[in-house]
Amino acid sequence: MVAENSTPHLHSAVEPKQTFRRALDMAARAAMPSLFIVFSAILLSAPFGIPGQAQLQFGIAMCTVWFWAYSRPRSMPALAVFLCGLVVEIFSFGPPGTVLLSLLVIYGVAHHWRYGLSRLGFIAGWLIFSVFAALASFFQWALVCLHAVALLSPAPGLFQAALTIGIYPSLTALFVWGRRTFANPDQA
Amino acid sequence: MLSIHARQVLAKAVLPILILLAVGLVLLGLVRRPAVDGVRLMATDFMAPAYHGLVWPQERVKVWLTDLRGATDLAKENARLRDENRALRHWYDVAVALAAENGRLKKSLHWIPETVPQYVTGRVTRDDGGPYSRAVLLDVGSGHDVRIGDVALDAAGLLGRVTEVGPHTVRVLMINDDASRIPVTLGSSHGDAIMAGDDTASPRLIFYPQDHHPVEGERVETRGQSTMPAGLPVGTVHYSAPNRPVVVPDADLDRLDIVRVFDYGDDDSQAPDAPGRVRVKKLPQNPLTGPLPFSWLPNLPDMPGRGGQ
Repeated sequence: MVAENSTPHLHSAVEPKQTFRRALDMAARAAMPSLFIVFSAILLSAPFGIPGQAQLQFGIAMCTVWFWAYSRPRSMPALAVFLCGLVVEIFSFGPPGTVLLSLLVIYGVAHHWRYGLSRLGFIAGWLIFSVFAALASFFQWALVCLHAVALLSPAPGLFQAALTIGIYPSLTALFVWGRRTFANPDQA
Repeated sequence: MLSIHARQVLAKAVLPILILLAVGLVLLGLVRRPAVDGVRLMATDFMAPAYHGLVWPQERVKVWLTDLRGATDLAKENARLRDENRALRHWYDVAVALAAENGRLKKSLHWIPETVPQYVTGRVTRDDGGPYSRAVLLDVGSGHDVRIGDVALDAAGLLGRVTEVGPHTVRVLMINDDASRIPVTLGSSHGDAIMAGDDTASPRLIFYPQDHHPVEGERVETRGQSTMPAGLPVGTVHYSAPNRPVVVPDADLDRLDIVRVFDYGDDDSQAPDAPGRVRVKKLPQNPLTGPLPFSWLPNLPDMPGRGGQ
């Protein structure tokens, strides 16, 4: 069973009356993952001086898109991924387009394999995500090298990949809880 | 209304179209990077007040923590400050005496005073580096006159140079960025070198004279070139490994707050025309055939170019 139909008891014959307030509430809940990416991108672009702030921006966007693309694609359509990617691009200063392209590719993979990923265990899903996070970081590093016409140290890219892979479990725990509660449009 | 089939086709085509747009953005970034960075700068301009609001609680907490740390050991701190004050008083006297002597010497040498550079002071809006670069954005307010290539300094030393200029915000590429190359002069060995950033805390020294290797601990200053004036403090030489001299910067590159951007103007010191470019008046073929008008002087040749006996 696909995760997006995980609350069958709410799809009863008696539906709550569709009011404007309910429609707004549903839209807000459905937009929660995208809003999470946008707010974290803006927040992490502020000069807090936290080590790895830029890498965290990338990591949070990747984890969020991956989770919601296979878990509840209705809350994360392709256009939303594109717009979120653009916001992350604007509030970061890496090579332009790399984060956006990585997000769209990881969205495509997760969305295409969503049935298989829902059946797989957490560890297997995490491993597959790790491969794509590492590939995205490598792609970013390759583009920076191409732009600088020099072989730069791959250490920042490795750190970014490790941070993205490392924060995935804790973010998944948050998202699983959110999918049942505050980010669940069926509970509006 | 679209048919179900058309909607299905459209739904399948959305992702490839968006991926193509993203690839277009990647290519645009490779070809026209300043255009993309201009948009980012505008967004930062717009967000600058919000950034101040976001960072304000963190700054207050830092101030409280500093106060708290000071309050726990007041007596020891007082003693340390008194000693430091005594040392500073001594250095103040030395500085005043040297300034007076310097003034006298300059006066006696008819020293032409250097132009005072214009500068603006700004607060760091955000660290703008990303994983592969070291840069900061400064909020310098509206109506500034900052230009690309201006020099940024913090309280202690050289920080970097301005690479992009927006209406309220300027971007400063720091000296430890991989793209930064600053011409420097070594204090005691007087050798020239290039300070090249490598994304670490200490930029490397390259292209120094092979017969004058940098000496551990010697001062590093900027060498005058284009808009970069001579003599700005940069840092000290340190050997992180044999044959690998690096510069430990005076500026605190990790914790930047207030930064000044100096406009030293263009280098308008142009060399005079070379002698070869001076138009030489052609002499007549036989300028003087007769005796010189001043041949009454003793021991003078009567014809030019013949020399005396």
